[in-house]
Amino acid sequence: MVPNDNIILKIEDLHKSYGKEEVLKGVSLEVTEGEVVILVGPSGTGKSTLLRCINQLTTPDAGRVWVRDVELTDPQADIDLARQHIGMVFQGFNLFNHLTALDNVLLGLVHVLKMEKDAAQEKAMMELDRVGLEDKYMNYPGQLSGGQKQRVAIARSLAMEPVVMLFDEPTSALDPELIGEVLVVMKDLALEGMTMLCVTHEIGFARDVSTRIVFMEHGDIVEQGPPNKILNNPSLERTRQFLGKISDLH
Amino acid sequence: MEIFTTLIPYLLRGLNITLSVTAIALGFGLVFGTLLAIMRVYGNPALSRVITLYVGVIRSLPHILLLLIIYFLIARIVNLSPFWAGSLSLAIISSAYQSEIVRGAILSVPNGQMIAARSIGMTRRQAIIHVVIPQAIRHMIPPWSNEAAIVIKDSSLVYILGVPEILRQAQYYSGRNPTKPFNAYLAVAVIYFVLTFLTNRGLDALEKRIRIPA
Repeated sequence: MVPNDNIILKIEDLHKSYGKEEVLKGVSLEVTEGEVVILVGPSGTGKSTLLRCINQLTTPDAGRVWVRDVELTDPQADIDLARQHIGMVFQGFNLFNHLTALDNVLLGLVHVLKMEKDAAQEKAMMELDRVGLEDKYMNYPGQLSGGQKQRVAIARSLAMEPVVMLFDEPTSALDPELIGEVLVVMKDLALEGMTMLCVTHEIGFARDVSTRIVFMEHGDIVEQGPPNKILNNPSLERTRQFLGKISDLH
Repeated sequence: MEIFTTLIPYLLRGLNITLSVTAIALGFGLVFGTLLAIMRVYGNPALSRVITLYVGVIRSLPHILLLLIIYFLIARIVNLSPFWAGSLSLAIISSAYQSEIVRGAILSVPNGQMIAARSIGMTRRQAIIHVVIPQAIRHMIPPWSNEAAIVIKDSSLVYILGVPEILRQAQYYSGRNPTKPFNAYLAVAVIYFVLTFLTNRGLDALEKRIRIPA
């Protein structure tokens, strides 16, 4: 089947085990264009694994994933081509350590999208400007703060013009005073209409920006709904307990 | 005086060969070694095991024995001059050690680098070439400097195949001037020291030059 036009991401009955441990137990999820979906849940429930199974950085054992009309779980799919348009931001930034901020953003433009050097350079500077780092373009990752690194990483993904952005705990490795600058960039992105799927414990961000909160536990989606409903009046006692705990912390 | 008129020209002729043997062994060794390391890290498990065995065998045998074995093996198949046979033998030996150096350097690059490269749509090959290898090279230089010093000195082993490198030349000289055998060997020692010293200094400078700013 081909999903309808405004569905950007469709996940169907996804399973993944590591050894005997079943991390994903048949997860299904649809994300439509412009949605900002927050994935929350206790650690070890498979949230990160779910993200990685979307762009096939981790190969799921069973189930299917579409981004727009391309089935990524199809063995015939050109996965490198598909990944160009699925942005991913990591907890540990994973900037290319040997390259300046500018070259980090340029690398994909030049080698993956095969853009002309001048046009690529202009585009890369524009993306750094978008995350507020146009004056740091010559800095190496080792010369940037954690918040700046993460913003470069976001710029690197955005440069590829993704149809969806996956965020895997983008602020979990940051000092508290650096979290804000990254969330501001993510919020702007959401307001511009970017489709986002985001694993985070930042409940304030979820409340302000998201269109839906998905609560996962033990490898499956337990409850989901609009932030108002999930944060203020969840159907399940378990959801209330968990959100209560992380709200105390943030 | 006689040292400058006869000994030095004698040794200089050998120096040319010593430098050529070293350059061939290190150069081919680096190319083979890098290919072996990449296949060992990224290749399929069967290939990886074969390479591990190959490296293990070479590392367990004396270089002089390997040189003789490889020389007679090569000499049976193709008609190579002792110079090329010796140089390529040393290259094969060095490739095993260099593959360990490159492998260690590749493994020292965090896995997240490969993951990030793949996530923007790079192929595995592109990620290896543009992301992993440039970082691995920086980790490689100190152990490679050590290997270069070993290969410079190992170049003297081709002497047993009759290749007239500096040690062989020194021996000729001593044979003809039996009263002063010491001069020639001392001169050779000085040459090896200078070669090794300069190579290590050069590689130190390179390491500093390409260090990632932090």
